[in-house]
Amino acid sequence: MRIDGTKKTKRVLGLAAAFAVILGACGGGDDAAEAPTVTDAEEVELTSSDGGILAAVQERGVLRCGVSGAAVAFSFTAADGSMNGIDADYCRAVAAAVLGDATAVEFVSLTAAERFTAVQTGSIDVLMRNSTWTQSRDTDVGMDFGPTTYFDGQQLMARAADGFTTSSQVSDVDGAVVCTNAGTTTETNISELASVLGIKITLTTFEDYDQVTEAFIAGTCDVITTDGSGLVGRKSVQEPSKGAWVIFPATPFSKEPLGPVYAQNDSQWADVVNWTVYATFIADEYGVGSDEVSAAAAGDFGPEMVRLMGGEGELQTVMGLSATAFADVITQVGNYQQIWDRNLTPVGLVREGSANALWNKGGLLYAPPAR
Amino acid sequence: MTTVINANVSSQKSWFKWVRDNLFSSVAGTIQTFAFAALVVVVLRWLLGVAFAEKNDWTAVATNMRLLVSYNYPLSQFIRIWVAAGVLLVCAAASLGAWRFDPALTVKRMARTFYSVAVVAALCALLMPSSAPGVLVRTLWLVSTVLAIAGFAASAVASKRNNLTVSFGALLTSSVVGLLAILWFVPFGNYGVVGGSPFANPGDTVARSTKEPWTVIFTLVLFTFWASRALGTKTVAIVRSALLAFWLVGPAFLIFVVLRDPAFDWQRVWAVDVPLAAGFAFGGGLLVYLLAKPTRSSLARLVGVALSAFAILNWVAGFFGWYGMLQKVRISMLLLAILVLILPAFAGSQSKRLRIAVAWGGFILVLHWLITAINTPSTLVISAPPFLGGFTLTFAISYYVVLASFPLGVLLALARTSDLPLFRMMSTAYIEVFRGVPLITILFLFTVMLPLFLPRGMAVSDLAAVFAGYSIFSAAYLAENVRGGLQSVRQGQYEAANALGLTVFQRTLLIVLPQGLRVSIPNLVGQGIATLKETSLIAIIGGFDLLRIANSTIPNQPQFLGQKRPGLLFIAMVYFILAYTMSKSSQRLERRLDAGRM
Repeated sequence: MRIDGTKKTKRVLGLAAAFAVILGACGGGDDAAEAPTVTDAEEVELTSSDGGILAAVQERGVLRCGVSGAAVAFSFTAADGSMNGIDADYCRAVAAAVLGDATAVEFVSLTAAERFTAVQTGSIDVLMRNSTWTQSRDTDVGMDFGPTTYFDGQQLMARAADGFTTSSQVSDVDGAVVCTNAGTTTETNISELASVLGIKITLTTFEDYDQVTEAFIAGTCDVITTDGSGLVGRKSVQEPSKGAWVIFPATPFSKEPLGPVYAQNDSQWADVVNWTVYATFIADEYGVGSDEVSAAAAGDFGPEMVRLMGGEGELQTVMGLSATAFADVITQVGNYQQIWDRNLTPVGLVREGSANALWNKGGLLYAPPAR
Repeated sequence: MTTVINANVSSQKSWFKWVRDNLFSSVAGTIQTFAFAALVVVVLRWLLGVAFAEKNDWTAVATNMRLLVSYNYPLSQFIRIWVAAGVLLVCAAASLGAWRFDPALTVKRMARTFYSVAVVAALCALLMPSSAPGVLVRTLWLVSTVLAIAGFAASAVASKRNNLTVSFGALLTSSVVGLLAILWFVPFGNYGVVGGSPFANPGDTVARSTKEPWTVIFTLVLFTFWASRALGTKTVAIVRSALLAFWLVGPAFLIFVVLRDPAFDWQRVWAVDVPLAAGFAFGGGLLVYLLAKPTRSSLARLVGVALSAFAILNWVAGFFGWYGMLQKVRISMLLLAILVLILPAFAGSQSKRLRIAVAWGGFILVLHWLITAINTPSTLVISAPPFLGGFTLTFAISYYVVLASFPLGVLLALARTSDLPLFRMMSTAYIEVFRGVPLITILFLFTVMLPLFLPRGMAVSDLAAVFAGYSIFSAAYLAENVRGGLQSVRQGQYEAANALGLTVFQRTLLIVLPQGLRVSIPNLVGQGIATLKETSLIAIIGGFDLLRIANSTIPNQPQFLGQKRPGLLFIAMVYFILAYTMSKSSQRLERRLDAGRM
């Protein structure tokens, strides 16, 4: 095909234009969608460079809180779209303390794989995602752990018809088919314990816990294992008849302390998160719930509660919070018992006698004094 | 068509004959028929058994319908979702009416369809396990009976007047009425959440808050359909172009203006955004109008090159932070430069120039409005962003990915088939790179890496990054599909176009593309369906699409712990309906375009 000069020029230009369109679409597709109308000159400062996370959250007016979004009783999306659970409530508590508004939370649903990266890169302010506090995680670059809000531990669940009772021991499952979900520490824990006890178990793993439970119901598994809170939840909803399934041993065979995680080396922010958690413990200790806050601030529950509820002194203001920060937490979210009743009681978890009772009731929940 | 129908004698006899000839023609045939029928029954029974097993709690789906449709969109603002859905459906009805959509539906064929659906419904009702909800079984029997009677009536009418057809409007009206009657009178049960706690009223019909908006929407749909059918030839042309414009930009407005409800800072809008948009629209329009004269082609090229250089400089400057500038100005500048560059190809008479100028102005006004709306903070209080989720997210992503990747893919295909080695190589490199990388990688790249490459001070939301990354990925595949079509256009067509003195642009637009695209329709629709299904991958980067809600949100609610199966079966049905609709309409399109060929 012969083309004369002008036609060739035309074609060159035409194709150049076509490619300009392509490039424009490549660049423009995203720019058009989200190009900020601020000029480059009036650029937003990176807020975390000065003043820390606390200042950044107060500036932003909303707390970015990392949760699981798919962990029953801890953080799950209810049918009306709201995020519920004990982890979600602790996000609200921190928001109430920092911003005075428990609803000023942006929940970020994270998978197990991406949760710690989100803390380290600062894309979330605090992580409340049923994460176990371990030595390696704590010493890992970029993150610190706060006070434990829920003491969990691995247990086993089996059928009562197979002769298991609540007083059964791990050594009783000798020769059984034990199922759990793949790639978790539960898998390592049970096989380590089995070799220590010298029992022989057949370990079968599934992709997720729904499949584990289905296999248990179908009879493929004799025993299933995961954290106690998970087993109780499954038992309360999926048990075919009352008392058909039993959970044992009474004392879990692993320690899984779950609590908040935040960025390393920001003591001010760490203090805010830690003391928000402690405030819910102390209020529980004194029996101060959402309805008793004003009475507590007036002195009906003693001087420590007066200080904590902002009645006198400046314990909260030196932290960079308002004097009534923790009063807001208790009013809007509640004390530990109220948070428990709202989230963990419905799935059948009992607080009395567990590690999650207060220190003066035989449990492990202990807060330093507020003075 | 008519001759074929007339050839059939009395329907009763032909039925009998058909059955004998096709199902029981020989011993082997009879055995096959029975074996196949038994297989169908067994498979159907197994499927229904899986779907309606006792342990499956279908109220999990009913209670979570809100999540599945729009995830955590605030209840107080639900009117926005109804408005968006209503506008979409009404415009769809208007389009069907305006383009005179009226397939030849013979009464005879309808009777056959009625009979077969009635048989399938009755079979399902018979094979239902005892644990299936009673209302469902009763509804199936009802549907089966009504359709059997309708089929009998239709075949009775058809036996008298063989080639009788029914208009699409009548069918639409009767289906809408039937659907609304089912919605209002069949007690499917009313499930939902009030104040955080779920409730269930199994004996009720569905909630009033569901029934009423649907009734309003469907009434409007019927009204619009008939109104647009009744339009005269002159008005219908205007309505058609308005509808075309709607389908291009309307959904974006529905998402970013209606659903997202930006809190416009009116002072800034009047002081900055409106003057900018007006300036580009009128200034650019005037420039285009002046330069589009055929005698000013060389001047237009000169201006175009100058503008392009300036536009590219702006982007480079933005990347290195040499000087500040509104991103909108950069985008508009680049688009104007491109338009001026290709202007000589469209140069023509005064009315044509005016049309181009007006089109540019309208385009810029729409674009600026959208960009401003997207960048304004939303008034919605949403506890877990993004603001789109569920079916809305799936639909929005697939719609826009198909819409954006189409022009991009066509351009890439044209570049790859061009004689110029540079463009051919660039296009090939693009296509091979993006086809060689998994979609998940691209989605991660765009959400994690893209922010690092952007000019300072510019942010991209996850949602926008997904739109962009997905479109770029999809365009690479689409380009190859289109290239296949382009290669089927014979050399003689090019030569004929050259002999007529058409320019390269005219040849491509008027001769090559229409023929090439028609050939690639099956592949393009296939890719559209794949795009729709692959939207579930955005769950990996944090989006709450249908799959993620069914697979991990619903089974983790305390009252529906472990209820995965009903949700998954439900979304499988939703995906199937969408994909099947797409494939059916593509078949219709193929038939129509093929008819034009003969």
